[in-house]
Amino acid sequence: MSVGIEHYVILSLALFCIGLFGVLTRRNALMFLMSVELMLNAANINLIAFAFYHGNLTGQVFALFTMALAAAEVAVGLGIILVLYRNFRDVDVTVPSAMRW
Amino acid sequence: METAFELAPAIVLLPLAAFVVALLVGEYMPKKGALAGIAATAGSLLLSLYVVAAVATGGEHQETYFTWAAGDAFSETGESAIEFTFGILLDPLSALMLVIVSLIAFLVHVFSLGYMNDEGETGLRRYYAELGLFTFSMLAFVVADNLLMAFMFFELVGLCSYLLIGFWFRTESAPSAAKKAFLVTRFGDYFFLLGVVAIGATFGTLAFQGDNSFVAAASDAIEGGEPLFGFEPRTWVTITGLLVLGGVIGKSAQFPLHTWLPDAMEGPTTVSALIHAATMVAAGVYLIARMFGYYALSPTALAIIALVGGFTALFAATMGVVKDDIKQVLAYSTISQYGYMMLGLGVGGYVAGVFHLMNHAFFKALLFLGAGAVIVLMHHEQNMWKMGGLKDKAPVTYYTFLAGALALAGIVPFSGFWSKDEILFDAILVGLNEPIFLVAYAMGLLAVFFTGFYTFRMVFLTFHGEPRSEAARDPHPVGWNIKFPLLTLGVLALVAGVANLAPVYKLTGLEITYLEFWLDGQYGGYADLTYTAYGDTVPFGTEYIAGSETITLLIAAGLGLGLAVAGAIFAMVLYNVPEPEPHTENLGSARTVLRSNYYQDEYQVWIAENLSLPLARTADRFDQSVIDGVVNGVSSVSLFGSSRMKRLQTGVVTNYAALMIVGFIALLLVLGVLGGWFV
Repeated sequence: MSVGIEHYVILSLALFCIGLFGVLTRRNALMFLMSVELMLNAANINLIAFAFYHGNLTGQVFALFTMALAAAEVAVGLGIILVLYRNFRDVDVTVPSAMRW
Repeated sequence: METAFELAPAIVLLPLAAFVVALLVGEYMPKKGALAGIAATAGSLLLSLYVVAAVATGGEHQETYFTWAAGDAFSETGESAIEFTFGILLDPLSALMLVIVSLIAFLVHVFSLGYMNDEGETGLRRYYAELGLFTFSMLAFVVADNLLMAFMFFELVGLCSYLLIGFWFRTESAPSAAKKAFLVTRFGDYFFLLGVVAIGATFGTLAFQGDNSFVAAASDAIEGGEPLFGFEPRTWVTITGLLVLGGVIGKSAQFPLHTWLPDAMEGPTTVSALIHAATMVAAGVYLIARMFGYYALSPTALAIIALVGGFTALFAATMGVVKDDIKQVLAYSTISQYGYMMLGLGVGGYVAGVFHLMNHAFFKALLFLGAGAVIVLMHHEQNMWKMGGLKDKAPVTYYTFLAGALALAGIVPFSGFWSKDEILFDAILVGLNEPIFLVAYAMGLLAVFFTGFYTFRMVFLTFHGEPRSEAARDPHPVGWNIKFPLLTLGVLALVAGVANLAPVYKLTGLEITYLEFWLDGQYGGYADLTYTAYGDTVPFGTEYIAGSETITLLIAAGLGLGLAVAGAIFAMVLYNVPEPEPHTENLGSARTVLRSNYYQDEYQVWIAENLSLPLARTADRFDQSVIDGVVNGVSSVSLFGSSRMKRLQTGVVTNYAALMIVGFIALLLVLGVLGGWFV
């Protein structure tokens, strides 16, 4: 039994939902960031799977771009988390809530 | 000839230059700007005479100098573009008026040397600057070739008279009189503006002359018979004509908007002379003459003009009978005389009306300047009961004033007789055919008696009898600058009637009705602005007493002259005694009514306080509650809404993530429903 496109899609969907669950429930900023990365990679899987399915490389090239972008995003995200920790002695994302109405 | 027309703008611009000079450097000039004004008005006068000569040798001129707005416009008669321009129109009427205005302005400037400078008034720079601006506005109004330009300078004339009436602004009465003059005339001008807009929107043109003038367009519309704004064309012409007439009634002080004029006596007497003879008040009647072709299309409008004029003539003359202030008597005589001009124009007597406008300009300027001279003689006393006996001490003033008085009363052979007689003659001719005009004629005729009476009451009280005060026994001397204008105008008041001796022509057949030829374009002028052209349009028939023109003429002239002489003799019997009695006190309650000016001010104040004010209050309340309520409601709804909406911004990043997800899902659902995924 060969691995069909639907398996990849289901994998991607599961990964995305795990990430989404993490974003909505985790209070630790590091975990939050990791969840975002999971969602991003879910999208990557989709891109690559469909590129393979259609037999062209555009999707794979996009996935490479997304990884580079994710690396940059992680750098910025970690920087924010460092500042967060320095200001609040904590990495709980619900603590800094001053920027509101 | 062309040179005269090319120089014509200078007639208007010279007084403007005098205004600027007097305003900027008047303080440093020897006579505080008077010399600039005299030079400018003298220049205007010479150039005006040149223009008259050019028109007399067969010229006419219309030129647009500046188009300040042009564009597409929707008009009722199908004209699809409209232009707003500044231009000049030089034809017999405007050329004649140019000479009158610049001559009077020149003489008033000269007289001011004696009345203002020699009397040590302060604020002369302002005085001469305003006088220059006043002359400029009136001259520009006279040469205007379209209704909108005329309106603009009409307003400027109103502004200048406001400034000059309020010249002594530190007194209590002058600023209030100035405000009254401004507001009352503005009330009329409001209708004038509506009329300008209505005429522009109907015909798509505001020009006075030519094939594309609004007069020609109105005439075509009446022939075509297509309704204008849902009205019969003739009715619509009447409506717009009456709207413009509102401005005329305000400016020319006709009933019921005449109340500002007697109060305007608070200004310097020289200013009164200018306002009454040549500028402000003359502007109204001149406007009717200028667009007479338009009024000629509407018998109703003409009838209203004639009736308002006839009524005002009588109404104002009766009030003049009981006044004690020499300037007040003259003020009411002005209202009354402009009533005659309106009557003349209203019965289609274009030449008669313009003739009286010219004669009145001369003799009324003369009388006001004479009154100014009397006021100087009397050390600034204006009450006639404190005068008397000035006849021998100031002969130049006396004889010139007498000439003006004889002209005003309409006694042959002074100029006023000829023009007033012509007006009444035209009125009776039309009146015999259409009885409604007979009413206007009767009022005008009756006013002749009162005019004779109050005029000579004034003359006798001022100059005859024994001096009744210290000042009258020892009058202040007057200089050449007072005598020169008086003599010039005195001669004109005597001989100006020669311009149009219509009765002599009708009796003897001598062709000496020069003014009629002049206004008929026989020397030069536009064919559509002639007396004949107007005469063809005016729809009134005429009839003669006993079928004979000569008999009618003699009866009309005899009645007019007889009543004027009767009035004068009556005044002589009562007041030409060494110690005159205040006989008008015998009139009892009638005198009270007359002294209170028929309670015109009172009822107008009553209207203002009991009708306008509550109406304004209601409007204010509507504005405050309904209009402001809607506006405030909109803002409080959005304020309240946003104060709730902003709670979305919790500042917790998890909530934002949740919102994004919910929003994304909602978007997906919407797209899905619209895209038909779930079907």
